[in-house]
Amino acid sequence: MKTASQLQYGEKVKIDNIDCTHPSSRRIIEIGFTPGQEIELVNKSVFNDPLAFSVRGTVIAIRKNEADCIQIK
Amino acid sequence: MISQTIDKTALITLVGSPNAGKTTLFNNLSGRNFKTVNYPGATVEYSVSPLLSKFNLNANLLDSPGIISLTPHSPDEELAVSSLFSHPVFGVPDLLIVAVDVSQLSRHLFLVKQLQQCNFRIVVALTMTDILNKKGFNVSPEKLSEELNCDVIKIDGRTGKGITELIDVASKNLENFKQKGETKLIPFPGHDNEQLIESYKEIETICDKVISELPGKNEQINLRRANARLSILNPDPVVKRNCYQIDKRTIKIDRILLHKVWGLIIFFLIMALTFTSIFWVAQPVMDFVSNIFGFMADEALVILGQNWFGDFVSTGLITGVGSVMVFVPQIMILFLILGLLEDSGYLARGAMLIDRPLSKIGLNGKSFVPMLSGFACAIPAMMAARTIPNKRERFLTIFIIPLLSCSARLPIYALLLAFLFPGNNAWIAGLVLAGIYIFSIANSVIIAAIINKFSKRIINQDDSSSFILELPAYRTPKAKVVYNNMITSAKSYLKKAGPVILVLSVAIWLLTYFPDYSPKVETQNHTRDEIVQLQNAERLSNSYAADMGKLIQPVMKPIGMDWRVGVSLIAAFTAREVFVSSLALIFKVTGDGETLQNSMLHAMQDAKIEDTGQKLFTPATIAGLIVFFLFALQCLSTVAVSRKETGSWRIPVLQLIIFTSLAYVLTFITVNGLRALGIA
Repeated sequence: MKTASQLQYGEKVKIDNIDCTHPSSRRIIEIGFTPGQEIELVNKSVFNDPLAFSVRGTVIAIRKNEADCIQIK
Repeated sequence: MISQTIDKTALITLVGSPNAGKTTLFNNLSGRNFKTVNYPGATVEYSVSPLLSKFNLNANLLDSPGIISLTPHSPDEELAVSSLFSHPVFGVPDLLIVAVDVSQLSRHLFLVKQLQQCNFRIVVALTMTDILNKKGFNVSPEKLSEELNCDVIKIDGRTGKGITELIDVASKNLENFKQKGETKLIPFPGHDNEQLIESYKEIETICDKVISELPGKNEQINLRRANARLSILNPDPVVKRNCYQIDKRTIKIDRILLHKVWGLIIFFLIMALTFTSIFWVAQPVMDFVSNIFGFMADEALVILGQNWFGDFVSTGLITGVGSVMVFVPQIMILFLILGLLEDSGYLARGAMLIDRPLSKIGLNGKSFVPMLSGFACAIPAMMAARTIPNKRERFLTIFIIPLLSCSARLPIYALLLAFLFPGNNAWIAGLVLAGIYIFSIANSVIIAAIINKFSKRIINQDDSSSFILELPAYRTPKAKVVYNNMITSAKSYLKKAGPVILVLSVAIWLLTYFPDYSPKVETQNHTRDEIVQLQNAERLSNSYAADMGKLIQPVMKPIGMDWRVGVSLIAAFTAREVFVSSLALIFKVTGDGETLQNSMLHAMQDAKIEDTGQKLFTPATIAGLIVFFLFALQCLSTVAVSRKETGSWRIPVLQLIIFTSLAYVLTFITVNGLRALGIA
């Protein structure tokens, strides 16, 4: 299963599912990452982690490991 | 029915997700006379203000910290949510004004929905409508009002458009609610992930109904929107929800500011610029303040005469307080820069940039802001650590904050360095000061890494680490927000430090002046000034402070200092900045027509260790003192806040013991090492 952490710059995809076993999954959903939403990897930090995604009109920075709970098609 | 003549002042609380435009709205409604209050028991600052009189509504407006949902993930959110339901000072709000950024409508309605589930009475204020319009979309407040079953008003924080309407509606709502009687707030029922996703689905249907394309905009958008609708049936094409397009400029700026090379260079440049301006920009203002207090101390002696009262006012009060007031300009500049960085949106990027390196040593990107504030004062810094959801990382951040060179240490370093590099060599002092700052950062990082290694013993907390942070669109900082932030910080700093300094100044004056307050000295062949100086010296060597100092002499001797420095160091354990005022008192510094600092430097140059006649302040002992202040935890308030924030005495006691003994040992090594190298 591909996750959001494997996205390339500027790649736009739709979220398929959120892995609810991940400890951060709740906050990830609250902040706007829900199935069906379109996200785009807009930036990476200096050390390629955290990653910045655009979602629902804003940019959210999350760690790679947290991006792994966002499953994409 | 008899109309109520005495109205209770209503309480309106401003709520919103972070970056929803809440602060701008607050500034629009509150004018200049706002004040910040400390949450008793804990200390997140809440701004509260009566509404501007032009709005003709008797109500207090409370600004609350931004929250994403009603399920808290960190201590600061916990506090924000619980005080929303019932603020410990202001009670239960009569009405909430919820700021909603329409350019990210679905995310912000998420909070509105949760608030409504708790029976809050709300009015929604739509912000950033101009941004949505630029994208070619419009939002209908009327339709949204229908969907949400509450009043919805469009406002523009910059032009003030819609503000009056908002207050009118709020006023009507308050009136309505009063007639209907109280409703009971119900605590938010925790939702599981499925319910949260469901809630977003409901909100999306609302958004589809209330957002429409602006007429006359290009056909392409219409086409895309049609596609978007179709895609519900057809899962293949990637949907383009143009109304949720993000600021292109921000993405471009971030490409540079988060760049592998440029990002780091700019980050270090900004940090360097911040710290250098604290010294170079503040210097003229500090000299000015220093001059005023030097002049006042002199005048007091002239007016009141050379008696105990004159001495009390001149040295006990004016010099004591003045030596601390001197560095208020530096604090203001630091908070000014912090405010600029925060309001422009850079702080969030800074946190993101150093999340990875910090996470290697057991900290978090969110430790960045607390650590940066640590250069101003450890107290707000430890409180800022509440934004870190992970307990272990939060405790470790709190643990190392006292190692960062807080502004209370500035006057001490400034004095000691001015002694080492007088006159034309001031630029060297500046460089060394920069070095001290870099050294203090290195120390905190090294100690964090060491503690992280052995953390199971020192910080026994475990939960999953996380870094989730919104990167707001870049914008020009608003002067009023930055200014208010600076003034509030300086005020609250003075409120905290002021009384301590005043009380200690008086205490130290008493200890150094009594019991032999009118000593007999040889008066023949001496000028008036010399007599005064002899009397001062005689009085001090017989004073209570001297008696106490003799007790600690054995501890001070190995590090090349005498009881006078010892007394000042002990006094500095209440608050570091007291060190300077205490030295000033012990060495009987008065203005003598110079600035406070210059006459202190002269007194220090003349100071000799009593039994050996050696100079007390030499490059070696000064270097030793600097090292001592770099490490020692000398601040009662910090210890108290550390206790409060970590919930037990374990961490503050460990901090006190580890940092202070480290300070003593390293000072010993520095002083004696330098002497062994031939540097006195």
